Amino acid sequence: MNPLQHVMILASAGSGKTYALTNRFVELLVRGAPPERIVALTFTRKAAGEFFDEILNKLAKAAGDPGAAARLGREVGAPQLGCAEFLRFLRALTDTMHRLRLGTLDGFFARIARVFPLELGLTGEFELLEEHAARRERQRVLRRMFARSGRELGADQKDFIEAFKRATFGAEEKQLGSRLDGFLDDHQERYLEAPAASLWGNPARIWPEGNAWLTADGDPVAAIRTLRAWLESAAVDDKQRERWAAFLAAAEAWSPGVPVSDEMDYVLKKVIAAWADVVSGRAILKFDHRKQPLDSMSCAALADLVRHMVGGELRRRLAITRGIHAVLRGYEACYQDEVRRAGKLTFADVQRLLVPAGEAGSLSGVRGQEGRLYVDYRLDGGIDHWLLDEFQDTSHGQWSVLRNLIDEVVQDTGGTRSFFCVGDVKQAIFTWREGDPRLFREIFEYYNRAAPGAITTRYLVESWRSGRPIIEMVNAVLGASAVIHELFPGPAADAWTSEWRTHSSAVPDRTGQAALILAVDEAERWRRVAELIREIRPLERGLSCAVLVRKNAVATELADFLRRETGMPALAESDLHVCNDNPLGAVLLALLQAAAHPGDTLAWEHVQMTPLGAVLGDAGVTTREAAAERLLGQVHAEGFERTLEWWLRRLEARLDPADGFSRVRARQFAEAAAVFDQSGSRDVAEFIQFMERHAVREPEGAGVVRVMTIHKSKGLGFDVVILPDLEGKRLDQVRTNLAVHKSAGREVEWVLQIPSEPFAQADETLLQHDRAAGAEACYEALSLLYVALTRAKRGLYVIVKPAGKSVSRNYPKLLVSALGDVPREIRVGDLSLPAVWSSGDPDWHRPILAAAAPARAADRSARLPVLAEGRARPAVRRPARRPSTRSNLRIPAGQLFSLGSAAGVEFGSAVHALLGGIEWADTAAIARLQANWEGSGVRMDAVAEVVACLNAEALEHVWRLRPRAEVWRERSFEVVLDEAWLTGTFDRVIVERGDLGAALRATVFDFKTELITDEPSRAAAIASHAPQLNLYRRVAAVLTGLPPAAVRCEIVFTRVRTAAVVGWEDGSEAKPKFGLYSTVGAPHGARHQ
Amino acid sequence: MESGTSMLRRHFLPWDQPMLPQAAAWLAGGWAGRGPLDLAGMLALVPTRQSGRRLREALAELAAVHGGAVFPPRVLTPDALLTAKVNEPGVASRLESLLVWAELLRTIEMEGFRQVFPVDPPARNFSWALRLGEQLVKLQQTLAENGLRLADVPKRAGEEFAESLRWEQIAELEARHAAILESRQLRDPFAARIRLLERTDGRWDEFSRLVLLGVPDPQPLALDILRAIAQTRGLPIDILIHAPPEEGDAFDEWGRPIAETWASRELHFAEFDRQVHLCAAPADQAARVAELARGYAEREGMLGIGLADSEVGPLLENELKRVGLQVFNPEGRPLRDEALYSLLACLATLESDTSFATVEALARCPDFFAFLRRRGGGAFSVARWLAGLDELRARHLPADLAAARHHAPGLRQYPEVAEGLAAVAELRVLLQTGSFAAGATAALQAIYGGANFELSNTADERRQATAAAWMEVVRECMAADSDDRRLTTADWWQVALRLFGDRRRTEEKPAGAVELQGWLELLWEDAPHLVVVGMNDGRVPEAVVEDAFLPEGLRRQLGLKNNAARLARDAYLVQAAEMCRRRAGRFDLLLGKTSAAGDPLRPSRLLLRCADAELPQRVGFLFRSRAPVAASETTWRRAWKLVPRMVPPPERVAVTGLRSYLQCPFRFYLRNVLGMQGIDPLKSELDAFDFGTLCHSALEQIGRDPLLRDCTDAAELRRALLGHLDRAVRARYGDRLALPLVIQVESARQRLGQLAELQAAERAAGWETIEVERPFEVELSGLIVRGRIDRIDRNVHSGAIRVLDYKTSDKPVTPAEAHLRPLRPVDQVAEWARFEGGTKPQVWVDLQLPLYLRALAEEFSTRPACGYFNLPKATGETGAAWWDEYTPELHASANRCAEGACAAIRAGVFWPPNDALKAERDECAALFHHGVPESVEWDRR
Ligand code: SF4
Repeated sequence: MNPLQHVMILASAGSGKTYALTNRFVELLVRGAPPERIVALTFTRKAAGEFFDEILNKLAKAAGDPGAAARLGREVGAPQLGCAEFLRFLRALTDTMHRLRLGTLDGFFARIARVFPLELGLTGEFELLEEHAARRERQRVLRRMFARSGRELGADQKDFIEAFKRATFGAEEKQLGSRLDGFLDDHQERYLEAPAASLWGNPARIWPEGNAWLTADGDPVAAIRTLRAWLESAAVDDKQRERWAAFLAAAEAWSPGVPVSDEMDYVLKKVIAAWADVVSGRAILKFDHRKQPLDSMSCAALADLVRHMVGGELRRRLAITRGIHAVLRGYEACYQDEVRRAGKLTFADVQRLLVPAGEAGSLSGVRGQEGRLYVDYRLDGGIDHWLLDEFQDTSHGQWSVLRNLIDEVVQDTGGTRSFFCVGDVKQAIFTWREGDPRLFREIFEYYNRAAPGAITTRYLVESWRSGRPIIEMVNAVLGASAVIHELFPGPAADAWTSEWRTHSSAVPDRTGQAALILAVDEAERWRRVAELIREIRPLERGLSCAVLVRKNAVATELADFLRRETGMPALAESDLHVCNDNPLGAVLLALLQAAAHPGDTLAWEHVQMTPLGAVLGDAGVTTREAAAERLLGQVHAEGFERTLEWWLRRLEARLDPADGFSRVRARQFAEAAAVFDQSGSRDVAEFIQFMERHAVREPEGAGVVRVMTIHKSKGLGFDVVILPDLEGKRLDQVRTNLAVHKSAGREVEWVLQIPSEPFAQADETLLQHDRAAGAEACYEALSLLYVALTRAKRGLYVIVKPAGKSVSRNYPKLLVSALGDVPREIRVGDLSLPAVWSSGDPDWHRPILAAAAPARAADRSARLPVLAEGRARPAVRRPARRPSTRSNLRIPAGQLFSLGSAAGVEFGSAVHALLGGIEWADTAAIARLQANWEGSGVRMDAVAEVVACLNAEALEHVWRLRPRAEVWRERSFEVVLDEAWLTGTFDRVIVERGDLGAALRATVFDFKTELITDEPSRAAAIASHAPQLNLYRRVAAVLTGLPPAAVRCEIVFTRVRTAAVVGWEDGSEAKPKFGLYSTVGAPHGARHQ
Repeated sequence: MESGTSMLRRHFLPWDQPMLPQAAAWLAGGWAGRGPLDLAGMLALVPTRQSGRRLREALAELAAVHGGAVFPPRVLTPDALLTAKVNEPGVASRLESLLVWAELLRTIEMEGFRQVFPVDPPARNFSWALRLGEQLVKLQQTLAENGLRLADVPKRAGEEFAESLRWEQIAELEARHAAILESRQLRDPFAARIRLLERTDGRWDEFSRLVLLGVPDPQPLALDILRAIAQTRGLPIDILIHAPPEEGDAFDEWGRPIAETWASRELHFAEFDRQVHLCAAPADQAARVAELARGYAEREGMLGIGLADSEVGPLLENELKRVGLQVFNPEGRPLRDEALYSLLACLATLESDTSFATVEALARCPDFFAFLRRRGGGAFSVARWLAGLDELRARHLPADLAAARHHAPGLRQYPEVAEGLAAVAELRVLLQTGSFAAGATAALQAIYGGANFELSNTADERRQATAAAWMEVVRECMAADSDDRRLTTADWWQVALRLFGDRRRTEEKPAGAVELQGWLELLWEDAPHLVVVGMNDGRVPEAVVEDAFLPEGLRRQLGLKNNAARLARDAYLVQAAEMCRRRAGRFDLLLGKTSAAGDPLRPSRLLLRCADAELPQRVGFLFRSRAPVAASETTWRRAWKLVPRMVPPPERVAVTGLRSYLQCPFRFYLRNVLGMQGIDPLKSELDAFDFGTLCHSALEQIGRDPLLRDCTDAAELRRALLGHLDRAVRARYGDRLALPLVIQVESARQRLGQLAELQAAERAAGWETIEVERPFEVELSGLIVRGRIDRIDRNVHSGAIRVLDYKTSDKPVTPAEAHLRPLRPVDQVAEWARFEGGTKPQVWVDLQLPLYLRALAEEFSTRPACGYFNLPKATGETGAAWWDEYTPELHASANRCAEGACAAIRAGVFWPPNDALKAERDECAALFHHGVPESVEWDRR
């Protein structure tokens, strides 16, 4: 066998990335790697699951089929292997399933963090916050911050306010809450990446050499005066004069933050373009293609004015940036205190913890030669092999965590450890989640620099997915190097074309069609989608079909449109807000709102407009008062899920029996509520917020047209793909104006909110940054198009606006430039459409006949069978009861919470314990017992009580030794009585036996330590205890074989040292069956009262 | 050791039948029904509490067959055996031990323990120490199961042990912990357990027989103790194993499945493919089981349900209830879920924090408002109390209890509020009086004073039991309280709530309920048909991965319970459950392809324990990519249409109401006629309306003050305006403003400051204010429209009159933009609402200024000018916006529109709705789905 190589695979779309990855895994097994020493990581749990399934299925096939074994053997470089060997690998794999490290990057990081909590400064166990929980925490932190009173504000909070004012210069000031929330969405990650204040809005970092705009500040008033004077006599024509006048007027009114008017923008750009000349004092500006010379005076004034403006704007942006930082810092300080320190971390937090920060890194304690052992030990075994999937989406932060671990593998020369990764830098569409496609190249070079040839790369360019016409289009558009260079000159085009390899189809016989179709506006584009689907009728032919768009909202709308217009089942695979996207869920939320906030008449009326109103009425809830009491009571006692289930069950009864959809939603609602309940919160407002946000991804719809975003389609393939949503801005548009400038090593160098256009262009540093950011955006945009075009197997229909001359450099422009711009009619089946490009067979779909409905449901119909009557005997199940006293049926609740009442319980228990120790007692015995008890730590009041009882004349018969008598003390029993299973304990029973041992009579004594004050209270106590005693009587009868009437029952009132006989009443007929018992759960020790 | 082993007597209860009845019969021995079945001297060890319960039930049943009853054996779990005898004076409770850990962790010098704490923790507060302490207690417990202490780890881990330094430091911590306990005359509870071994004095004398019953993985320490008892008492130990005698080699002397044997052993299924069912998601598993249970509904005792994956539990409960069955989960529920817990949590917060949010949370605790009702007598209304609090928040945004109380008397319609807040304040005083226990009980006694729990009522009984459990916790805390510990009351609350919340409430099973058994109970389940849900890897066999202290390797080395042992146990349990239903029963296993969150799951490894030849096929079967999905309806469908209440049209509306009507007649009906108004429970800052009101009130004061009215000094005006503003703010929001208010008030100041300049200039230009906040009413088509004019000015030079309105929206608006919008082709707008006089047809959206002018029509000879004073955010844009193009045609059209709208309102025309209104601008949006007209049934009326 050849030595094992480190490999990086660049796999184009559809080229069998997963296949390569699973083969690698098998290859490692073949080479003898223990499965648990292989780490295979990908980005989603779903992908990880599929990956594992695939490996197992691959091995299972090879283990069961010699042909498959031979094939797999060849592919993994071990043609000699047969079924038996693969079976062995399969067994090895299934046996170690629980130890495999095959999952997501996030999961792997969390595992490391879990075994090194103290090393990372955590408090041992931590809770991983899923997205919804993280959001709730954020809301809580914000609320708490907001609740603080302004007067008690500390210096930092004052800063916070100042900062917020700075950060929101020129933006909405009202609704701080939602503003701040959005603010955090936009900026929090950036803050966490670069928390140091010195990086934010710090001119010394942005312009280490200084910035001329900031140093000089002209006098604008004087400058405007000078320029007006100049304009009086300047040699300019009327149009130019008008422009100058408008500019000066705008400049006069302008102050930093005021939007730049068109008039101002026009002149400002001209001046900045000719800045060097203006400064030198001799400039010729061109307005509307006509030149106008400026003298040195006017140049100087103009320079002053523009310096004032640019400088002012830059200073403002610097201040805003610092403000943003301070706002984030204020929030983060709070969050850190209340959430992270409480052991609640997001996946991002975990990853950040693991990133070695310089040498004093958080994981520094586990690095180095010694450290390595340590990691292996805590993770229960070393790692020999690394397999990384979707490598283009790996962030620099993630890589820095992994690098330490992977370095040693790559540097290990033993030939038994390896690194393997696969990705497609052309599908890098997650840079907004910090995915970093440049890593691929950098890592390759990094390792090869250290040891040339250490890593090899391989390109996979053959698509097993797409037929020829599709590949033709992909090559024609994204391989159009000249077009791309022309439209997007610079690094984006360079990077793209250098990574590009011409694609080919591995399934050339797959018929199909690809076309670029025209439509004038959105309405027409959508109509075209409907027409195409109607023509191709993919669902009837058993073809999968997807319409890919850019935004979730568009997906929802378009799916709605398709359902409405074509009657076709179209499903938007966006996240569905299942708890309130339908009347049922909405009204349940309204009910809770009305209950918790009875002043909310909107919610209450809403409820009354629906069948829920009647359901409430049936349950006696007709007023808001009643609703508040009932619902809040239920929620606090049972939680949200059970409460709402209760109402849902009743509401469901009123639904149309055919309404399966609402029933599905009802279930989803309950499931979501259960998720919320795990938080333990009973806060209705929080609950409603959670439910409104709660989203569910519909299960992949078979038999529907799937409408989804291109992002979501990544990794999927469809027979037919339609792309009707590619319009939009130029591809190199930068998405955010908060620039984070990083060094080549991805260290943040500075952060600045970039000023708007004319100002940003005045500064070389900002200009450079903007270009680089634009190039990144452009590269990602090309990736997105690549992903979109490569999803199709057979039919690919792109619909764009006809290209006018002045289109910006957006997707339609690129497509038309690459494919041609001459409109003509093309055909798709019977449909005739305006288009510029088409390839393949317009009738490709016709021969495909309706596929038989897949034979699903074989399993489904296999219901779990019920055992036939008589085939087996059922296990006996009885209700369980305990004898209990009827006294205190009504307990004053306040008394339960008295610390003193415990004394009562404890006293009772102590008395019982002492009495339980007594077999028989005469005077001598009493003295002995008393001596034993004293000094034994037993409470003296109990001892005194017991001694008094022992000495009491009225109780003498309780303790007196009788001939041939046996005594049961604190004796438990189990019995079936009245069809119920009864468990209990006798305090004391004396059974007297005859000569032959048969019981003659028995007496049951029950000790009560309650206080009897007078005859009525005594009578009441006897009455309330009588049922319990009679029950004991019956049990004693069963145990002794005596008739119940021969069992005597006495209550011993220890406080008053008397006993009372309880008469026999056969309650079994007259009373409800279980009236004598209470269910268990009576308080501990209640028996002893 | 020889004698030790010979004391162990294994007995095999064949697994061709369920174990439980066999076990009961074995215990009963030759008992034939004369006299009680007396097992009182027997110690029976069983694996769980529930299995103990099962055993006692089976014994009662067995006795019942002969018409007898039982003196049961002492049935204990191994853990209970250990704790039963160490809860005595001199041994620290778990809580005491925990608190000592917390104390220790807060006081050690970290430098001496750098192997344990390489970096400093983020905050060494009580909560940190408590949580870490809990982990250490757990660690002690795990080790104690094998009779080990922390200090034993480095000694036993061997030469090559990588972490010996770390463990030596941990041992040192343990030693210090013990030392602190000792200084208080206490012993560590786990040390005490281990010492039980050495002191087998008279404490075991009550036992005359020792039985180990169906316990596949007992704690080794419990076995050691059992052996010690046997030795001192000279008794044998009977070990009952549910397996045929032929399987003897598969179990060790204690009846434990031997790990090596069971790790590789084949598990036999009668018909694997029919017994094992792959389901898509937990809901599918639940649905299938519910369907099955329904099939047995009339035949109690036929079906047993095992939960291997607790995630399926709640779903299964729901599904079972849906098909009309009662469910019982012997696991019980944590007390954290009880109403009392949330009340206590609120009190705990109130003790240290009186923010208004705390008050609001407490206010919604049912027991708290029941308390207010008792306190307030018959007139008390929960609805008013809660609505009043919301009103208080909306109006005054109080930061805390004090601020809320300050404003409460102003809420005349809600007398409950002032009363209730006073009660909260009193509770807080109680909470802060004396120790934690004293404060907590005083507060609870106050809350529950006068209430009664009716024990005949299940709910009350449950509350009573919960209350008792809480008091137990409080007493435990009191017992553990010592002066030198210095916990704050808040710390105690934290401890007590954790202890309380973690306890579980178990109830007795309701008659006829379906029981959901945990995995370890299955051996004891005797129903002929057993279904187990959640047979996924990680659940069964349970695998412990990631442990910061005891990785698997170390566990093995120390002989602790490890994954191999768990695998053996679980393999055995599956096999036994399967075998005993072969003859007359059925055993089904369900497993999920994904979790509820949609994450992939793997089948249990146990399901792959087959002959090698079968393995490929098994893998194919269990790892199929698609599990059957329950066909579910995904096409959106409307459950019902809303049927709004029908009430007569109004007789009066406000000018702003007219604007709403023009925007959408149906929503006008909902809001202005039905009076539907939402509440934002999380309101924490001024809304646009509040903001406007604040600014208006300052401006009104200026307009009323004759001196200021004529003032032309901007600085003077500004001072006055800001003064008024500050007073208004203080009056309404108190002087302790919440953070967002500080910012908003600042914004108002800026805007008013700017307006001062404008006002001074206008006055200088001759405009004098002659009236402010002038109310008016006009009748239009039988409807009275009322409003208030912000201000009327007259020019002292020209005598011209103008009418103006202050606008505080962020962006300046012109009257024309605010009153009219272009007519869209899709619009279906009544004739009277249009204005066709301009260049393009327009639609009226507001009639405010025209109505002002109409109201003043009689008063002035010429029609006044009208417009806005804009106070936008960008202060540079503050200024007046006059409606210069307000022509007579416009005025006539506006009047026509007003009359048309009023006539329509009077006529009850509230349909059709405006379907184009954006959801984010529609307060009623939550009512509608997929179109407003489609959502409502209007015609039925
Ligand atoms: S592109 Fe998709 S189908 Fe192709 S290998 Fe990758 S994941 Fe598999």
